[in-house]
Amino acid sequence: MTGEPGAPAAAPIRERLPRGDLVGARVAADFAAPLATALDDRLTGYLRLEPGDALLGVGGSEAVITLESGVPVLAYDAGNAGDDADGPAALAALAGTTPVRVERYRLPAEALASLHDPQTDGSDPFRVAPGAPARELAGDDALAERTREAAPAERRDAAGDHDALAAFLADEERVEAVRREARAEARTRAEEWGLGDQLAE
Amino acid sequence: MVEAFAVASGKGGTGKTTTTLALGMALAHRYDVTVVDADTGMANLLFHAGLADAPVTLQDLLAPDAGGPDGAAVDVADATYERHGMRVVPCGTSLAAFERSDPARLREVVAELAADTDVLLLDSPATLASKSAVLPIVLADRVVVVTQPTIPALSDALKVQEYAASYGTGIAGVLFNKVRGDLGSVGDQAERYFEGPTLGSVPDSDAARAARDAGEPLLAHAPDSDAAATYRAAAAGIDPEPKAAGDVADRFRSAVVPERP
Repeated sequence: MTGEPGAPAAAPIRERLPRGDLVGARVAADFAAPLATALDDRLTGYLRLEPGDALLGVGGSEAVITLESGVPVLAYDAGNAGDDADGPAALAALAGTTPVRVERYRLPAEALASLHDPQTDGSDPFRVAPGAPARELAGDDALAERTREAAPAERRDAAGDHDALAAFLADEERVEAVRREARAEARTRAEEWGLGDQLAE
Repeated sequence: MVEAFAVASGKGGTGKTTTTLALGMALAHRYDVTVVDADTGMANLLFHAGLADAPVTLQDLLAPDAGGPDGAAVDVADATYERHGMRVVPCGTSLAAFERSDPARLREVVAELAADTDVLLLDSPATLASKSAVLPIVLADRVVVVTQPTIPALSDALKVQEYAASYGTGIAGVLFNKVRGDLGSVGDQAERYFEGPTLGSVPDSDAARAARDAGEPLLAHAPDSDAAATYRAAAAGIDPEPKAAGDVADRFRSAVVPERP
C-alpha cells in the first residue's frame, strides 16, 4: 500500500472497494472460465477469489480482481500470513492456486470510477495489464488477447506485461517449491514408467 | 560426432515447433542437422516444414510392423526428407497409426539418425505427463527450454529442467518466445534458476503465424524478421559438444528399457 495513513484518497483499495451485488458463485478448476465469463458478460464489479488452500481450510486468503466491462483493472491478494500482495504481485501469489472459489459481484460503474482512475493516489500498485490475469493465472493466450482488445485504447498497450512474472521470480521460496515438487514428481513417475534405471544419481 | 538436443517446453502453445525448425536452420549453416518430430501424439512439424503430404513418417517407423502406407517395409531413410538445408523426420497425424505406434521404438530411430549427423534436434511433446512425452528428454544430451514470459509457462519450463536433471540431461539454455514488449529484468531473474544461459527473447510477431500458414519454417519465410534474427543469435549461443556418434547411438539403444507387454 502507498500514501499517508489516514488520507482518504490514499487508503488501500481493499478498504475502499464498495460491496457489490453477488451475481454468481462457483468453484472453478481453473481461472480461465470465470475470467472468460466476466469478459463475455462485460461485468463491471469484481471477482472475489478464494484459492484452493483457503478452500481446504489451511489458508484463509482471498483475492480480488476488479473489472470494468469485463476487463481486469486492479488486483490484490490478502495473503496467508499478513503478506498482502498488490497488482502483479497479487497475480503471482494467485497463480497455480486452483481449484478456486469465485464470487462475481456487480457494481455501478460510478462506484468504481475513482478507484479505477489512474490518477487516483494509491491505485497504481494495484493496477494490472488487461490481459495479465488470463495469461498469468489461466495460461490462456487467446483469452488474454481477447481481453486486451476489449480494453480501452489507453490501457491496451500499457507497459507492465511481465511484472507478474518478475514478482514470481523474485519469490525464491516459491520458485524453489515448484522445482522441489517437480523433482519429486520426476522420480516418482520414472519408477511408474519403468525409467527408474535411467535416473541420474 | 553428434549432440542430441530435446527442444521442450512442458506447456503447449509456446512456439516450440517454430523454434525447433528455426534453430535447426540456423545451426545448419555450421553443422549437419537432423530435426525429428518427437511429438508423436500431436504432430505438427510436418505442417511447418511443408511436409503435410509426406508419404512415410516417423509414425510408420514407430509401428511394430514398420510398414508404410502400401504395406511395404520402411526404414529410417524413407521417413527422412531434405528440407531447407536440414534433414527432417516428420511425424504423421493418423489416429490409427498413433494407436499402433510404440513410442519406445523412438530410441532405435534416434540411434540410427544419430549415427549420421552433427546436431540432432528432437521437437518434444508439450507435456510431461507420459513416458513417451518424457522420452526425448531422457534420450537427449541437453535440453533447449522454450518458454513464454508467463508464470504458467515458466513454471512448466522449470519442471522440464528438473525432469532433465533427474535423468542426467543438461540444459543448453532457455529461450523466451512470443515476447511482447521489453522483457525487462525477467531474463536475468530467470537465469538465476536455470542451469543454462538465456539464449534470447524472440518477439511475438505475425511472421511466425504466416510462416506456419505457408508451410515454411520462419527462417525461410521471413528471414529478415526480428524474430528470425533473434533465433539466429540464439542458435549462435548453442555450442554443440559433439560426442562420438557410435557412443551416442549405443546410449540411445540402451537408454530405455522396453515396456513390458
